[in-house]
Amino acid sequence: MSLCHSIETLSMAFLDDELAAEERRELELHLLDCASCRQLVDGERADLELVRKALVAPPAPALLKARITRALDAEDVAVARRERRRWSQWLLPGSAMAAAAASILVFVGLGATPGSRENSPFTRDAAKQEIHALPLEVQGASTGPWLRDHFAPVEPPQFTEPGIALLGARLLPNGIANHDAALLSYLVTIGANRVTLTAVVLKDLRGDDLGGGQAYQVGNQILRVHDTDGMPAVTYVDQGRNVGYVFTSERLTADELIRLVVSTDLVARASQRR
Amino acid sequence: MATGTDLRMLAAREKRAEFERQALVHTDALFGAAYRLTRNARDAEDLVQDSLLRAYRFWDSFEQDSNCKAWLLRIVTNTFINEYQRKKRSREVLDAASAEQDATDGVLMHAEATDRQSPERTLLERSVSDDVQRALDGLPDDFRTAVVLCDVQGLSYKEIADIMQTPVGTVMSRLFRGRKLLAASLREFAIAEGYVKTTAPKQLAEAGATDQTIDLEKYRAARSAREGSHS
Repeated sequence: MSLCHSIETLSMAFLDDELAAEERRELELHLLDCASCRQLVDGERADLELVRKALVAPPAPALLKARITRALDAEDVAVARRERRRWSQWLLPGSAMAAAAASILVFVGLGATPGSRENSPFTRDAAKQEIHALPLEVQGASTGPWLRDHFAPVEPPQFTEPGIALLGARLLPNGIANHDAALLSYLVTIGANRVTLTAVVLKDLRGDDLGGGQAYQVGNQILRVHDTDGMPAVTYVDQGRNVGYVFTSERLTADELIRLVVSTDLVARASQRR
Repeated sequence: MATGTDLRMLAAREKRAEFERQALVHTDALFGAAYRLTRNARDAEDLVQDSLLRAYRFWDSFEQDSNCKAWLLRIVTNTFINEYQRKKRSREVLDAASAEQDATDGVLMHAEATDRQSPERTLLERSVSDDVQRALDGLPDDFRTAVVLCDVQGLSYKEIADIMQTPVGTVMSRLFRGRKLLAASLREFAIAEGYVKTTAPKQLAEAGATDQTIDLEKYRAARSAREGSHS
């Protein structure tokens, strides 16, 4: 039978490689015999080549790719923030921290002082360490002695809250803004949930090097809460030793973080020395 | 970090890495489709960014073993139909000058891509590039979408039918008529500007017309009916 009757359909499917093997063979045999169908297919092929050649599009501009990366970053931050909000609802009532939180709130409530909202570069760079997640150089029980050997006179801050363990530490090879720096990693366990908390410790700091954010007075010490690209950071400078601390956790709200930091022995240690 | 026990955080990072590996590698292809659908670089960039952000938000619903590029093109096509057409219409009413700006954007973009070629060649390609956008402007949206998905992206009839949510037969007839119109107007522009001297231009009205129904399924049904009657 003749394929002439359906040649436009067959020609198109043939050129688009949509024919089954048998259909293709049938058409190829037919084209050997039928000059007018052959001519039609050749014309269609020329049209198709013209169209395909004309429609070749330029690649995506480099600026667009950068814009997309930024949009995805912003989406990640927004999602993490929503997640933190969920965590904070779950963390607050009845958790092991509730009692400690109540006592701290008094300090915070009384001691809030207005301050500049501008973050120092120290805080920003230190907060980024949480995200970079470099491997630890030492882990577990030997972390304290290791830190005394490699980063004296800094002692790892001890949390008085139960369920917070020092996982390990590492030195930051390039320091932060020309200051020697070390990173300490903690695991916070509450019920079945675990979050990591990072403390970056900087040497030879002056009191205002970690300025900006919102200042809170706790006893005779000042803690500051910063927002670094959507992630809260709590900073504290031990004026007696010129050592600065930047605490961050991608999962915790600013409130939860400051409660944890206040529960360390840092503030108590500094107060005792005075 | 071996100690990164926060599984949720880990999952979020894995999702981003997986999205970059499977989806972002198609950014050039998506931009190509968007550029031909919107016919200007500015709208194409917005369309690609919006579509990829949407894809990222719904990444969980992507079936891992299926064709990621086709899935992304579906999002681009739907976003284009739902939002950009509406936006474009209202913008054209408000700002007639934007069309001119769009045309300029296209040329600048193209000039950048070809700036290492000779000036004459660049000039020629600029005009050809304008012609392509003008020829595309003359197509109905459905025809243009079918042609872009097939001839810019190389999707199969079935994949295009899934994206456009129409039968394969409809895809074929849109594709057939879209290509005819496009080829005819490309030839017409080329002849008008003296690039092509041969063959008389096909009339646009004629180009879209055919006596035959373009439908492979119908052909197959008729074919197997014949074979059944023979045996």
